[in-house]
Amino acid sequence: MTFYLPVAEMSANVLVLLAMGGAVGFLSGLFGVGGGFLMTPLLIFSGIPPAVAVGTESAQIAASSVSGAFTQWRRKNVDLQLGLVLLAGGIIGSVFGVRLVGDLRRLGVFDFFVSICYVTFLGVIGTLMLIESINAMRRARAGGGAVSARRPGQHSWIHGLPLKLRFQRSKLYISAIPPFMLGLFVGLLAAIMGVGGGFIMVPAMIYLLRVPTNIVVGTSLFQIVFLTGATTVLHASYNQTVDVVLAALLMVGGVIGAQFGTVAGERLKAEQLRFLLAALVLMVGLRFAWQLVAPPTDLYSLSAAVGGA
Amino acid sequence: MRWRRETCTTLGAIAAIAIGVLALSATDGLAQAQKRATTKQAPQRPPAVAKEAPHTQIEEIKREQQPGAKESVQADVSARNVAVTSSFNGTEIVIFGAVDNSQQPSAESGYYDVLIVVEGVPARLVVRRKNNVAGLWLNTSSATFDLVPSYYAIASTRPIDEITTEEFRASHGVGFQNLRFTPAFGQAQALSTEDLKDFRQAIVRLKLKQGLYVQDQYSVAFIGKSLFRATIELPANVTVGPFETRVYLFRDEKLLSQYTVRLNLEREGLERHLHAFAFGYPTLYGLMTVAIAIAAGLAASAMFRKAAH
Repeated sequence: MTFYLPVAEMSANVLVLLAMGGAVGFLSGLFGVGGGFLMTPLLIFSGIPPAVAVGTESAQIAASSVSGAFTQWRRKNVDLQLGLVLLAGGIIGSVFGVRLVGDLRRLGVFDFFVSICYVTFLGVIGTLMLIESINAMRRARAGGGAVSARRPGQHSWIHGLPLKLRFQRSKLYISAIPPFMLGLFVGLLAAIMGVGGGFIMVPAMIYLLRVPTNIVVGTSLFQIVFLTGATTVLHASYNQTVDVVLAALLMVGGVIGAQFGTVAGERLKAEQLRFLLAALVLMVGLRFAWQLVAPPTDLYSLSAAVGGA
Repeated sequence: MRWRRETCTTLGAIAAIAIGVLALSATDGLAQAQKRATTKQAPQRPPAVAKEAPHTQIEEIKREQQPGAKESVQADVSARNVAVTSSFNGTEIVIFGAVDNSQQPSAESGYYDVLIVVEGVPARLVVRRKNNVAGLWLNTSSATFDLVPSYYAIASTRPIDEITTEEFRASHGVGFQNLRFTPAFGQAQALSTEDLKDFRQAIVRLKLKQGLYVQDQYSVAFIGKSLFRATIELPANVTVGPFETRVYLFRDEKLLSQYTVRLNLEREGLERHLHAFAFGYPTLYGLMTVAIAIAAGLAASAMFRKAAH
C-alpha cells in the first residue's frame, strides 16, 4: 500500500513508514530518548529529501514530547523561568537555523552539511556515552557507588556572569546568559538536524548549569515541545518542507513502538542501556561518515530550482 | 507504570487521529475516482488541439473515394485528465489513432511509420556534480537549465533514425540529444561548453534512470489498415501539469501528417488540498501541523488522567 506524500512529492510505502516509526519508537521507549536523531537519519537514508526529513521530524517530536511535558508539568518538575529563557534562545536559534537550511539548499550543500553535523555530534556524544557506560559497568562490577553529578558548593566561571536571575524550582541563582546561549545552540541544531536537542540539553543542564535532575527532564521536555513546534512552523513557512501525511504516519508507528520499547527497557540495567544506546548512536554516525567518504554511485544529481534562485 | 499506561492512551489517540486522516483521504480518493469515471464520458473535456484544419464530413467521404488522396493522422489518449491522489503510484496512458485515407494493405505491411512524443511541463532544473574535497564528497559545481521537460517519452513503430531524417529530429525536438533545454541566465558559476555538455548528458541519464525519460522503439503497433496504438508509462514520481502528445505519420522518411493532443495530470482529493495549503498558506499549514501534533499528545494526556481515576 503506497501513499503519495503531498510535500515530499513522492509516493512512499505506508507499511515501511509505519515500521520505521515503530522501530524508532521502540528504541526511544527503550532508552528514554526523543528519537529525532534516529528518525531523521532513517528518513534521509530511505530517500526522503533531507530538508523534508528535518522539517517533518520537528512536528513528530512535538507530538511525542507533549504528553510527557504535560505530565512533568503536573508533577511540578518544570522550572518555568529557566524553560522560558532556554526557549527565548531556542527560538532565535531556530530562526537562524531554518534560514540556514534554506540558504544551504539553494547552494546544493544541505545534504552534505547535515551529514557533517550528524557525524560530529553523534561521534562525540556516542564516544562519550560509550566511555561513561563502560566505566559505569566496571564500577558496578567492582561494587562501587554511583557518583553524584551535583556538587552544590562548587563555583565555576558561570557564576561570574552578569544578568543574574533566580530560578526557583531549580534552586539556582545564575546569570541568564548561559541558559540563553544553550537554548540558542539547541535551537540551531533542532532546525538543522531535525532533532529535539535533548541529547545536548540534558547533559548541559546537569553538568554546566547544575540543575537538579528531576527538574532537568521536565524543563527540557517543556522546552522541546515549544521549540519543535516553533521550528515546524518556521520550516513550513520559510522552506515548505513539512509533510503532514508523513508526520502523521510516523506518529502512529512511533507511539506503538514506544509502548513495546518501554516494556523491554524495564528488563535492562541502566548502564547496559546506555552502552547499547552509545553503540547505536555511533553506528548512525558511522553510516553518515560512510556517506561522506564513499565514492558516490553517480557524481551528478538533479534537483528542482528552489526559492526561485 | 504510570507513564506506560499513558503511552497506551497516547497510542490510542494518535492512532485514532491518523487513521481518521488516512480514512478521510481514502474516501476522498474514492470519490474522486468516481467523479473521474463519470466525467470521462461527459462532453466537457478539454478540446483536442488539432494542428490541421478540421475536415467536414463531406470532404472526408470525398477523400475516401479518391485512392490517391493525402493521408492524415488523428489521435487521442485514453485519459485526458489523470488524477494524482494519495494512492497515486504511476499510471499507463494508451495513445490511439487512425490514418485517414490509409493506403497500406495490412497492419503488418509497415507501409507507414508512426512516431509519438509525449512531453511534460518544461521546468527549470538544477544539476549538480560532486567532487572529492579532502576525502569528502560534496556538490561543488552546478548548472541551471531552463525548459527541461519534466517528462519525455518517444514511442515509434521502428527506431527513430530509420523513420526520420536528422533535420526533422533537430527541428521538431525529437530524441534526447535534440531536447531544447537551455542554460539559464545568471549561472552561479561560469561553465565551459565541455562542462555544459556533461551536465546535459547527466540530466538525460538521470531522467532515464528515474523512468521520466522513456524511449521505446517498437511500441507503436498498427491494428488493421489504419488503426494504431501505443502505451506510455507515467511513473509515480512524474511532475503534474499539462502534457503534450505529438503524433507524426511518416512514409519513407517523409512527414505526411501530424496531430497534437493534450492530457493533464492534476492533483486531486486530499492530496491536492494539502499541497495547495502547504504551498499557498505555508505559515497557516505549519500551525495546523503543530496543532494536530499537540492536540494528539494532549488528548492522550487527558485520556490518561481519566483512565487513572
